[in-house]
Amino acid sequence: MITDDEIDVSSRRRALTIVIILVFVILFLRLYYLQLVSYSEFGKKSEENSVRVVIKEPVRGFIFDRNDRLVVDVGPAYSITITPAAFDTNNLVFLSSLMQLDPAVIQGRIDRGRAYSRFSPARIIRDVDFKTLSRVEENLYLLPGIGYEVESKRLYPFGICASHLLGYCKEITDEQLRRSGTVYQQGDLVGSSGLEASYETFLRGEKGYEFISVNSKGQLLGPLEEGKRDVHSKEGFDLILSIDFGLQVFAESLMTNYRGALVAIDPNDGGILAMVSKPDFDPSIFSGVTSSEVWTKLNTDPDKPLFNRATMTRYPPGSTFKMLVAAAALEEGIIDEHYSITCRGSFRFGNKTFKDTHVHGAVNVVEAIQKSCDVFFYQLILKIGLDRLNDYGKRFGFGKPTGIDIGDETSGLIPSAEYYDRVYGKGQWTQGNLVSLGIGQGEIGVSPLQMAQYTAAFANSGILLQPHAVNSIRNKRTNRIDIIDHSEIPVWLNYDVMRMIREGMRRVVEEPGGTGGLARISGVVSAGKTGTAQNPHGADHAWYVGFAPFDQPRIVIAVMLENAGFGGTKAAPIAGMVMEKYLFGELRRKVTKPVPAKTPQDTARQTTEKGVH
Amino acid sequence: MLSYFKEYFDFRALLICLALVIVGLMSIYSATFDINNAANYDRQALWAGIGFIIMIVISFIPLRTLQRLSFAFYFIAIATLVIILVVGITVKGSKSWFGLIGLGGQPSEFAKIATVLAFASYLSKTDVSISRIKHLFISLGIFAFPMFLILAQPDLGTAIVFFVALLPLLYWAGASNFILVAILVPILAAFGALLGTTYFLIAVAIGAALLYVFRENKFTVAVAFGIMLAVGLSVQVMYERMHVYQQKRISAFLNPEADPLGAGYNVVQSKIAIGSGGFFGKGFLKGTQTQLNYIPEQWTDFIFCVTGEEFGTLGASIVLGLFAALLLHALRVASISRNRFSSLAAIGMMGIFGTHIVINTGMSMGLMPVVGLPLPFLSYGGSSLVANMMMVGLLMNFYANRKEY
Repeated sequence: MITDDEIDVSSRRRALTIVIILVFVILFLRLYYLQLVSYSEFGKKSEENSVRVVIKEPVRGFIFDRNDRLVVDVGPAYSITITPAAFDTNNLVFLSSLMQLDPAVIQGRIDRGRAYSRFSPARIIRDVDFKTLSRVEENLYLLPGIGYEVESKRLYPFGICASHLLGYCKEITDEQLRRSGTVYQQGDLVGSSGLEASYETFLRGEKGYEFISVNSKGQLLGPLEEGKRDVHSKEGFDLILSIDFGLQVFAESLMTNYRGALVAIDPNDGGILAMVSKPDFDPSIFSGVTSSEVWTKLNTDPDKPLFNRATMTRYPPGSTFKMLVAAAALEEGIIDEHYSITCRGSFRFGNKTFKDTHVHGAVNVVEAIQKSCDVFFYQLILKIGLDRLNDYGKRFGFGKPTGIDIGDETSGLIPSAEYYDRVYGKGQWTQGNLVSLGIGQGEIGVSPLQMAQYTAAFANSGILLQPHAVNSIRNKRTNRIDIIDHSEIPVWLNYDVMRMIREGMRRVVEEPGGTGGLARISGVVSAGKTGTAQNPHGADHAWYVGFAPFDQPRIVIAVMLENAGFGGTKAAPIAGMVMEKYLFGELRRKVTKPVPAKTPQDTARQTTEKGVH
Repeated sequence: MLSYFKEYFDFRALLICLALVIVGLMSIYSATFDINNAANYDRQALWAGIGFIIMIVISFIPLRTLQRLSFAFYFIAIATLVIILVVGITVKGSKSWFGLIGLGGQPSEFAKIATVLAFASYLSKTDVSISRIKHLFISLGIFAFPMFLILAQPDLGTAIVFFVALLPLLYWAGASNFILVAILVPILAAFGALLGTTYFLIAVAIGAALLYVFRENKFTVAVAFGIMLAVGLSVQVMYERMHVYQQKRISAFLNPEADPLGAGYNVVQSKIAIGSGGFFGKGFLKGTQTQLNYIPEQWTDFIFCVTGEEFGTLGASIVLGLFAALLLHALRVASISRNRFSSLAAIGMMGIFGTHIVINTGMSMGLMPVVGLPLPFLSYGGSSLVANMMMVGLLMNFYANRKEY
């Protein structure tokens, strides 16, 4: 290289050397300022005023019913904690005898806590009973490193009631923790099902932080700067439900001995009035320690108590489906009110005979609904065809989730041509597959909630309402109440069509020859439809859907009882009683046997209602 | 034999590097001891071993080969950055960590080296001169391309390293003062814009004055002024599009008290840790701030407070002294190299090391905003350590080949 360049290099080197030295002089000066000049300040801060952040749990939101009755409360729960660094392991046996807990379990908790931090308290056991707490508390002075903390837990003033709807809170899983970012910490309780899960963000509130001075041994000295920097926790929002808990309790009592579900909704806004799923579970067992035994027992119970039968089952609706078939046929002009057939007790299609329960003689569409004539609908469905059935099914909310705000629900199924192609293979199925769809059998799958939504569209003469359990959310900090809006979609049925179907449903209950007489409510005209759904798992499922009063309905109901037998005899009385209770606040009818006994195999198959093909 | 080694083996770089690696391992051990992260120490020790081998191997690669392969490295680095942008996995809100055989690896660490080598290689071509506008823009482009890819990850810290390391390189390559000023003033304007309108106007005024003082002709002054205004005005837009954690870091720097739990908390605790160390420090494994885990993940970006707390002014001064020695040594290698490629590359290494060191220690001591940049040789992280040792290997190589044209 040339000399000029070398001169250049040396001048640039000099300049960069000066820059480097200047920068490091600044860094050194800062270091000396921090460590030597401010040592007394920072040293004091470090040794006496180190800061520990203590998380203050917010109070979870309360849940009220439509009449402002408190249905989910919050109470204190005591957890025994251990600070691994301060705990003397020689005390392990003593502690385990006080807590009546296996030393290995405690040791495991200590190890887990130590993995996080030796100096912060870790929970050994959550929600201890009062005896254990007082035993430990009395001996606290002998047990350095042991302490207790107060948290909130869910309390249920109504006991085991609407468990599936309300849901429960459970300790957060590692997976949830990973996905949640910084909102949650290990050991937090988080809504895991029902309303607790779907309204988690509203219910949980915001955590607060207290800054506590800690000395170098990790001992707490008191609030930092008199608590000026503390952030208070903010309590969660309250939910105000559409549920009427008086009605809920009553409905639960009627359903006690059944496996099944009951959904009552307000046909004017889609608000759920009661939702029962039996068998159920005690949600309070999740609010403290959930032992794995309890959890396993619930999960492996053949009756599936955790399963919300009101929203998650997918059973054929049986004859309760007939209004939809009739609506499709009338609206499409396939039949009119004068159309009638002569029922001879069976229907032959191809080489197969589809039976009816009775010989109904000449029936028009209104009578066919009233008497639940199968032959009428066997014929009708063949004229309607799969595509139109699907169209009307969708209009009434079948084959898709209702959008209810309690989370888990099935979308159900109305079979389509594509569905049959997939299941049976192209060309491997015939019109014969359709016949039983006409009476709500075969591959059709619906939930009791969908049935209630569908029935409500007849009750309110044509609006499909999005069912919901929460009416409004109350922000306790601002006292602002937000009312939640829900979708309302017309089903687009002609007025005359609607009138005929409603008339058929009225006659089911009110006229002789109707199948739902047991749902009758004295003093009020009501309407409904019975259903008895065959299924491969034993006796028929009993269905009843209905609404009352007929002219200005205030309640819609759908009842489904698994393997209970006939809809008209098993489900209809329950539906009638629940509606009666809601309309009058009391039961007017005389009930000789208020709670019908469980009938796993009903032998009276040949007596009434509906036949077998 | 010994005299050969004295002549061609860069003991100084080697010793500085090893001393820093040892301090780093001790600090990581202390920071992670007892919180079940001791595996971090083992892994870092393993990486130090691997890095050492790579460093020695690199120091013996013929200079010509390095120079010829520079662009290949560069394009591999660019390709990797693009792949990460498309399929990368996200760690701490940024896409840069690469799931490489189950270990975290950060290709941007290696992209820095590749970019410096490519820049040096390009400008060492006999027909290329920084004073020609076309060549200037190509050399700026070599830096800008990976920088924007990294900024898009988004990894603000590493992008800053690219930018700052470019300045001494341009200076060393012979760029005029005006070009340096023209590149600096937009940053000034951007910083002013973050502080508010008044500061923005002051920054623009200072920038305009600087451009005028170092002016070459009216046209370039106008262009540079326009760029400065555009950058300053777009900062607000960019700020709004930044990740929340980045916004928090910037506002925490501007006002640490505003966010006592977030980035501000780290700085406050870090200052307490360093400040409470005193002259002799609290002793190895005895730092209360460190052992009580006040500073989240201090084995990575905030490792300097472990050193400061446990080894005191004495230990921290030694570490700072070693860093200063490393930078001055890189500058010396650059000055005595007869080869323009190795001379420029050594300045690039100096720039990269210097930016990391100043930003990281500055942030630990509350002089700089919290940007996620590891402290060379000390912070936990395999790819960072290996990349740093590769750079020392390159310096050793340049030293050995300093007489080669």
